[in-house]
Amino acid sequence: MVFHPREGRNPRKPTRGLTRRDFILRSAALGISLPTLSAILAACGGDQDAAGEVLIGTPSSPVTQPLFDDNPVIASGTAPEAGPLRVYNWSDYINPDTIPVAEEALGVDIEVTTYFNEEEAIQKLISGEVSFDVWFPVAQSIPKVVAGKLIQPLNHDYLPNLVNVWPQLQNPFYDQGSLYSVPYVVYQTGIAWRTDHVDDADVMEVANPWDVFWNDKYRGITGLYDDFRETLYMVMLRNGVADPAVATEAEIDAAADGLVELIDLMDIRYTIDGVYSGMPEDRFGLHLAWSGDTVATPFYFPEDADPSVMRYLWPVNVGDSVKGSIANDTIAVLKGAQKPVLAHQFLNFMLDENNALENFGWVGYQPPQNGLDVDTLVADEWVPDYLSSAIVLPEDFDNPRAVVPTQLSAAQEALMLDAWSKAQSGG
Amino acid sequence: MPTNLQSAETEAVGQAPWTWPVFAAPGLIWLVLLFLVPFYAVLAVAMGGIDPIFLKPLPEWNPLQWDFTAFGEVLADLFGGQLGVIAMRTIVYVVVASLFSVLVGYPVAYFVARRVERHKALWLAGLLAPFWINYLMRMLAWVNLLSPDGLINKIIGFAGIPEQAWLEGRHLTVILGLVYGYLPFFILPLYAALDRIDRQVLEAARDLGASPTQAFLRVTAPLSRQGVLAGLVIIMLPMFGDYYTPNLLSGSPRTRMIGNQIDQFVNQTSSQGGQGAALTLILMAAVGLLMLYYLFNIARVTREARE
Repeated sequence: MVFHPREGRNPRKPTRGLTRRDFILRSAALGISLPTLSAILAACGGDQDAAGEVLIGTPSSPVTQPLFDDNPVIASGTAPEAGPLRVYNWSDYINPDTIPVAEEALGVDIEVTTYFNEEEAIQKLISGEVSFDVWFPVAQSIPKVVAGKLIQPLNHDYLPNLVNVWPQLQNPFYDQGSLYSVPYVVYQTGIAWRTDHVDDADVMEVANPWDVFWNDKYRGITGLYDDFRETLYMVMLRNGVADPAVATEAEIDAAADGLVELIDLMDIRYTIDGVYSGMPEDRFGLHLAWSGDTVATPFYFPEDADPSVMRYLWPVNVGDSVKGSIANDTIAVLKGAQKPVLAHQFLNFMLDENNALENFGWVGYQPPQNGLDVDTLVADEWVPDYLSSAIVLPEDFDNPRAVVPTQLSAAQEALMLDAWSKAQSGG
Repeated sequence: MPTNLQSAETEAVGQAPWTWPVFAAPGLIWLVLLFLVPFYAVLAVAMGGIDPIFLKPLPEWNPLQWDFTAFGEVLADLFGGQLGVIAMRTIVYVVVASLFSVLVGYPVAYFVARRVERHKALWLAGLLAPFWINYLMRMLAWVNLLSPDGLINKIIGFAGIPEQAWLEGRHLTVILGLVYGYLPFFILPLYAALDRIDRQVLEAARDLGASPTQAFLRVTAPLSRQGVLAGLVIIMLPMFGDYYTPNLLSGSPRTRMIGNQIDQFVNQTSSQGGQGAALTLILMAAVGLLMLYYLFNIARVTREARE
């Protein structure tokens, strides 16, 4: 698992609803640390009766996810169920104003329940602790949640708005034909900086923009994501690794060494909120950045500060050899949905251009809608001109230097986690 | 065997001897379950396997089928690996932060317990004031105060001291954050212990010729030892598991603590829940030793008091 952009929008679950006093007392009483509670939740999972092969596609080798007899597509032409519709989503990952509009459009109440990270969500879903109709998995999780039969195949008769989506993502490599999921938002992983701290030339006029994270002119103001995959991927892409998902142990070790070097060279810090919160507050001048986080930064600047100092670059757009990662999230109907027709209608609602745009205005992460281009988004002030470079283009997904993260094998994940531990402990 | 006092109390109100045990049973059962069930769940995760599809930890409830691999890996890393560095750093942070807490907290508790005559409740409310504000907000306030153009740097700037990069992975910042976060929990039990000391004992010491310093060292300090120990236990246990103080006030690998490593194992990855559970249990055993020392001390003092 990796962290996800949405996790940055919240304090990282430090209390899980406990008061500070509760935390201290319980920790003292039990003699255990708070994270143990997560382990306890994990322990409640129980055995999975999961069947099916995990088909992990890549852009060069797309896969069609299998259909299962015990997980059928719902029939066409069925009347929608009565509400409420239960939606399971990341915190702050849907515009609160979009919900009443959807309720009016669908004629039912909608209940949104949130989670902090996908590990937590999957654990609760497979344990049966929770029951929802609609879910927002990341694209790289689709293979395993299909194989584990957490989500059900979609009936496209209920999804006429799918045609609004970029063609690449109507037929994504991880789920050819969108059998199980529809795209929700897209984002790149790039570099965000403040022009009052960082020279544009040090990012944009160099052979490899990723090198800026090793430029000690910016020592003390530089941050990386506290996310093993995003950060190790960045270093490997800087090092010229073709596909980090299948990197060798030596390549992964070299990435860890690169991060260890940053501890003293840059006084590097790892954060999840460093872009959307830390940069407006001037705690960081340079940060590894999701494009969606960067688009949101102007809303977090203090009133007396000028957000136009923000800049963003996806290094793929410089030169002709540098690689960068790009990804998307999805919406799916859970296998155990009580209101599957209604759930399909909700997916279709979210694929409507106007609804997607309104949602973007609050979420900051861009929907892959055909009708939205750079000119429209800037002219209509959805994205400020100085951050227009953070707008994702459909052709970005087709760029041969764009790396789309895929589900890691257990062995590959273990190698990366060892490297991450090394980087996090200083070697 | 009931004490005379207990027997007298029971007889005085005409209660059956089983009355209080019956009343206490639900609470005791609840407390035992609250400890044992989660503990066994963590143990089952540490000794379990990995779901082949979701790459998530699968608890193994049957002790006969426990797999010690995760424990082995964590122990090997603790004794000779990167985890050992983090563990040593955590111990140093906690010990230094606890010493700071004693140095700062003892005089405060002593002052309120022994020197404040009026408005003692107001002083106590003042000590509890930090609890009125969410911990996260207090730490975020410190982030602002310690930022390059924050108040702290402005103040030291007036004194001619150059601006300090407090938030760039400083050990001192994290230690002071721990002290700030947990100090009230140290002061309160110590205050209670100091407040309970009979003033006549101190007067007797003075009457017998002890100077104020001697009276403190020979009477107050020994009698407040249990309060100090209780306060230390209360703050050290959660300090060992703390992970968001270093996250918020540093974020640097230089200041990573055991709690951060557990957080990474459990929350950031799919497949390392077993290691997270194993590390949690090892940490639990380590802090359990601290608790045992405290309990033995309490038992010894109680025994001496009876004799």
